[in-house]
Amino acid sequence: MVADAVSARPRCLRYWRAMLLLVPMLALLALFCLAPMGWVLAHSVQGEHGLSLEHFWVILGSPFYRQAFDNSLRISLYSSVIALLITLFGAVSLRRVDGRLKNAVIALTNMTSNLSGVPLAFAFIILIGTNGALTLLLRQWGWLQDFHLYSRNGLILLYTYFQLPLGLLLLYPALDALDDHWQEAAALLGASHWAYWRHIALPVLAPALLGTFILLLANAMGAYATAFALTSGNFNLVTVRIASLVSGNIDLEPNLAAALSVLLVALLALVAAVNQWLLKRSYHAR
Amino acid sequence: MFYVEIDGLTKRYGASTVFEDIRLGLKQGEFVTLLGPSGCGKSTLLRCLAGLTTADQGRIRVDGQDITTLAPQQRGIGMVFQNYALFPNMTVVENIAFGLKMQKRSAAETAKRVAEVIRLVELAGKEARYPHELSGGQRQRVALARALVVEPRILLLDEPLSALDARIRRNLREQIRDIQRRLGLTTVFVTHDQEEALTLSDRIFVMNQGRIVQEGTAEAVYTQPASEFVARFMGSYNLLSPTEAGRLLGVELKGHLAIRPESIRLCEPGEQYSADLGAPLRAIIRQHQLLGNIIRYQVETEGVSLQVDHLNRAADDLLPVGSEIAVVIDRRQMREVH
Repeated sequence: MVADAVSARPRCLRYWRAMLLLVPMLALLALFCLAPMGWVLAHSVQGEHGLSLEHFWVILGSPFYRQAFDNSLRISLYSSVIALLITLFGAVSLRRVDGRLKNAVIALTNMTSNLSGVPLAFAFIILIGTNGALTLLLRQWGWLQDFHLYSRNGLILLYTYFQLPLGLLLLYPALDALDDHWQEAAALLGASHWAYWRHIALPVLAPALLGTFILLLANAMGAYATAFALTSGNFNLVTVRIASLVSGNIDLEPNLAAALSVLLVALLALVAAVNQWLLKRSYHAR
Repeated sequence: MFYVEIDGLTKRYGASTVFEDIRLGLKQGEFVTLLGPSGCGKSTLLRCLAGLTTADQGRIRVDGQDITTLAPQQRGIGMVFQNYALFPNMTVVENIAFGLKMQKRSAAETAKRVAEVIRLVELAGKEARYPHELSGGQRQRVALARALVVEPRILLLDEPLSALDARIRRNLREQIRDIQRRLGLTTVFVTHDQEEALTLSDRIFVMNQGRIVQEGTAEAVYTQPASEFVARFMGSYNLLSPTEAGRLLGVELKGHLAIRPESIRLCEPGEQYSADLGAPLRAIIRQHQLLGNIIRYQVETEGVSLQVDHLNRAADDLLPVGSEIAVVIDRRQMREVH
């Protein structure tokens, strides 16, 4: 009994010490994540005459806002899928190349992950803008006819670029889950390279791939500065609409902006819920 | 004419040679073990046989067919890995059926073959489990079943028992040998464990530093070690230097003298010995170890330390440390090794 009490005390102390270390993070989370979310949620249902869902009806009934969601979703979806595929191939390749090249690529990836927002938009403008160096060169060679950086395809390219470092950062360690012996065992059982990926590697990597995809999607849906800097707010995206409703001179409507934000969060929450549901049905949950 | 022939096989990684000029032949249905310490090249040799590693020189033939450059998929070879290498996203049945699925066998044939091997490896009732829901022994049985179900020409076992605990290891090795005999399957087993090699094999190839240093039946390799390395590696041989051998037994040798612990006998008072055995030597017991049915004594005689294995017949058999006794070395069992 005495021994139990003695050993219980340090355990209890360790528990509270660990909890204490969590406090700064929890405080920040509450201040800058939960509180704004609560504010946004509260204001999204704040109508002209008290509580109301009128802002949501405005958004759902407006072709303009629906187009913003459509554009944001398409750009985010395409750029996430493209980035996921590129980073998957890249991560698989990096696991097999020699150590120095691997370290160099990872260092470069970490460095480029910091190049985003306005500097990234500027870099793209001077490189592949209307009179960008690469654009002129490709036009001269006849390899480029009708590419416009300030269009949806231009934004997909830009988004894909800033998704790559994040994708690689998330996927590269996940590939450690693959045991090389599986591929050898599969080969001895008659499986081709593709059959191994289809039947073994991709199902094993499914949680990491889905998780990375969702983070990329969220990253793209929430992107604002790069897109704004590139298109001067002329391309209709959800984040651009939210910003103009909060800071616009003519259409200042923070409650409508809050409703747009709630819909954006709900959309991402839905994707995350589908991901969880898929994972629960797979062998990973057993 | 051997069923499997390895002729002059060499493998190098840069400047370091993994193995060189390996030549060996396997008869059909034979159980052969590649035995050697870690890093001697035995696993790489097995991988070359499977096609998972490419040899730099030499040829491999199976049943007269040159398979040296064939892909693993085309060799008809099954392999069981040390870490099982089971596909974690598949159940026991799916793991076992994978090879048949790749061969595009019909569903009915696949189900029948899978049921047969599940019975063979005694895994009935575990069909729907995932690998992480099985014990180590059960996982290795799934790996064995997965390799057997496609009816390979040769079965390769790469230290399949080393990750298991002693009791399961004993059971599983008996089961592997039993299945191999029943199927008449040519099998190559890789291990660093002498006991496993001696228990399982029709023939043993002892490897050291990328070379085969001795080959023969289990009995021959154990009782007639060809070199000091084999004598040391095969077990608890007493290895006497030429000086020690001269002092103790009055023999003149150039190499070491290898004496098995069980060929040294403890003298009991009044016991009569055959004239073929040497004269009794006075000795003192320095240590003893109870190994179940064997008592292993460390005795000292004429300044030479010897290990003596004595059958543990009765509870009062154990002689205390410090006892003065006499030992007789069976000279017919001694062997000079270089």
